Amino acid sequence: MAGKPGTTPTTYSPSPTTQKTRKPIFNKDDVDWVRPDGRGFHQCRPAFFRTGAVNAASGSAYAEFGNTKVIVSVFGPRESKKAMMYSDIGRLNCSVSYTTFATLVRGQGSEHKDFSSMLHKSLEGAIILETFPKTTVDVFALVLESGGSDLPVVISCASLALADAGILMHDLVASVSLSCLGKNLVIDPILEEESYQDGGLLITCMPSRYEVTQLTVTGEWSTPKINEVSLSTGIIAYFYPHLEELCCIREWNELHDFV
Amino acid sequence: MVGLSLGEKHFIQGGIAQDIRSDGRKRLTYRPINVETGVIPQANGSARIRMGATDVISTVKAELGKPISLQPDKGKVSIYVDCSPTAAPMFEGRGGEELSTELSVALQRSLLGGKSGAGAGIDLSSLVVVEGKICWDLYIDCLVVCSDGNLLDALGAAIKAALSNTGIPRVQVAAGASGDEQPEVDISDEEFLQFDTSDIPVIVTLTKVGRHYIVDATTEEESQMSSAISISVNRKGHICGLTKRGGAGLDPSIVLDMISVAKHVSEQLINKLDSEIAAAEAGDDES
Amino acid sequence: MEFVSPEGLRLDGRRPMEMRQIRAEIGAVAKADGSAVFEMGNTKVIAAVYGPREVQNRTQQINDQALVRCEYSMANFSTGDRMRKPKGDRRSTEISLVIRQTMEACILTHLMPRSQIDIFVQVLQADGGTRSACINAATLALADAGIPMRDLVTSCSSGYLNSTPLLDLNYVEDSAGGPDVTVGFLPKVDKVTLLQMDSKLPIDIFENVMQLAIEGCKAIANYIREIMLENTKQLEYRRGI
Repeated sequence: MAGKPGTTPTTYSPSPTTQKTRKPIFNKDDVDWVRPDGRGFHQCRPAFFRTGAVNAASGSAYAEFGNTKVIVSVFGPRESKKAMMYSDIGRLNCSVSYTTFATLVRGQGSEHKDFSSMLHKSLEGAIILETFPKTTVDVFALVLESGGSDLPVVISCASLALADAGILMHDLVASVSLSCLGKNLVIDPILEEESYQDGGLLITCMPSRYEVTQLTVTGEWSTPKINEVSLSTGIIAYFYPHLEELCCIREWNELHDFV
Repeated sequence: MVGLSLGEKHFIQGGIAQDIRSDGRKRLTYRPINVETGVIPQANGSARIRMGATDVISTVKAELGKPISLQPDKGKVSIYVDCSPTAAPMFEGRGGEELSTELSVALQRSLLGGKSGAGAGIDLSSLVVVEGKICWDLYIDCLVVCSDGNLLDALGAAIKAALSNTGIPRVQVAAGASGDEQPEVDISDEEFLQFDTSDIPVIVTLTKVGRHYIVDATTEEESQMSSAISISVNRKGHICGLTKRGGAGLDPSIVLDMISVAKHVSEQLINKLDSEIAAAEAGDDES
Repeated sequence: MEFVSPEGLRLDGRRPMEMRQIRAEIGAVAKADGSAVFEMGNTKVIAAVYGPREVQNRTQQINDQALVRCEYSMANFSTGDRMRKPKGDRRSTEISLVIRQTMEACILTHLMPRSQIDIFVQVLQADGGTRSACINAATLALADAGIPMRDLVTSCSSGYLNSTPLLDLNYVEDSAGGPDVTVGFLPKVDKVTLLQMDSKLPIDIFENVMQLAIEGCKAIANYIREIMLENTKQLEYRRGI
């Protein structure tokens, strides 16, 4: 636990902490602890999705989860670079970058290599790469504002952008992260909660096929806790129709007609 | 990458299905593990692990630094992996960077615990010399010398062995320094503190080929995988980190099953590794 | 600074004309076509050879000889103070070039047209003379890979400090800023293929210093020959000949 016990404030102050030792956002023994933004432990932030955010791209989507705002554009399938070897399945190229103003401290605005490879791994299982041999699909994600759980939002948004581009997929990919704070498991953590977390879990799945495409866990987890993974798949199942209904009914139907 | 004919592929897959693999192992058997400690005298601790043809070196260097202001009672540990082009020609130039980053991130995730530092295999608070002012920074550098599959498990084991081999100099803090002054320290050349490595987890990678999982896959077997899960488990049987590789989707119940298999395997691996490390350390002291 | 004591001993206790202990081992990297570890005192390098094989980049293919490529890299932990070095800095590019040219000169490249040979050298510990150690390791690795060569090229360095020619400089002696002569030598044909020197030396002394390095090369060549003979005997034994 960060900080010392006993100095815990009873209320959460939303201003960014500037003092040297940070106060923990909740007390270990505090049973009535509420999350900084008043959500329940197993409640997602209000979400907003929209497709067709970038005109120049073959497909694009914008997603907003609380303060986390991302834009993803998909280009292609287009001819692979000449230098690349022949491949009878398509290639997927992913890149996640942050704007310079995405974080509290002005950043570099550079590519996030780790997230890029995670995005690639989460999506490659869902896309039917056999349908576009010798070509490349580029997925560019830009995090406009980082408000916690950036990667899950990027992944969900990217799958939507791929659907918008008319790229054949087995299913949409939905993703969510969990934070373990003391004994509590909170879903869809904000930046504040992420920085205090004792452990984290990111799960990416294709809900209608009920398959996990990507899973990472950090921190120490006991067996019963790991079993709560089913909780997050449940949450995804809850949030998936939302994803499907709210934003891409038209595109999705088109896709099905196309098939 | 790995050039395999259709026949060879079927042979590997068929062998795994019948619980006898190409090199005669069972599905859940590791290759013999060879541990050598103290291979790089310039470092505070080092180890070389060989599992079959996979060969990795891990070193630990300790430097005095300043703790970050948010966690004044904790030292810092960073893990870097480098893939030498000697391991495979494709690592030439910047070719190995992608794999290096992937391995570094996976190791950090498995060994360093959550953001608050809880659940870390290395006790970060033992690295503090003067709270808020001086702490040890551990730099763990790994080098892949030869690669024949299962790099993550080998690297995890190498780090564990290197940390058991590590001696951190005892530091005397000059009394009298107060307030915001940086206290003066005296680093001892003779007295070294050993690490408690019993809590450091081991990494078990289960590779799913067909309907079965195998441990310690070779490069050929890895080329046949549909997906793989690397789970780090400590002695208590707690999971300290998990990474999935490979694009194919998995049913959540299979994931949970793989976790329980990995836990079972990890017990044997921890014991085996501990005895190998102890043997290597004993041999090291004699020579 | 005094590099040679009045009793004629160097900082690490060696005599001026004494080499550090050398050790070599063939077959350190299981997956490579040929590989070797070479140690000179605390300097330790691994070399791996892949090839001859199909040229990876067609534009580089040479129609009447083999393409030889070399990459030199230093491990993060190889030096005393830990530093994260970017790949392809000027120093390693230069050393890669030197090693490539030296090895290319002794490989019979015309026997393997339109093919490629990759030499990768990895420094595990650096304590002066990495250049020489890399060339020696590369020679062994090439021989292990069964690549036809004119001769076993070996390399050794020498310097001139406190008016004394010194053989096989270590890191402290190397960084003293005195002259440092690195020689690559073909012992059978008795020819020098590589010669580099920093700083300055009068010509008559240079001859002595270079001669000393050549003697060092000859000693290493003898050792390498022994190691290879031993390795061949082992192979013979395993095959049951």
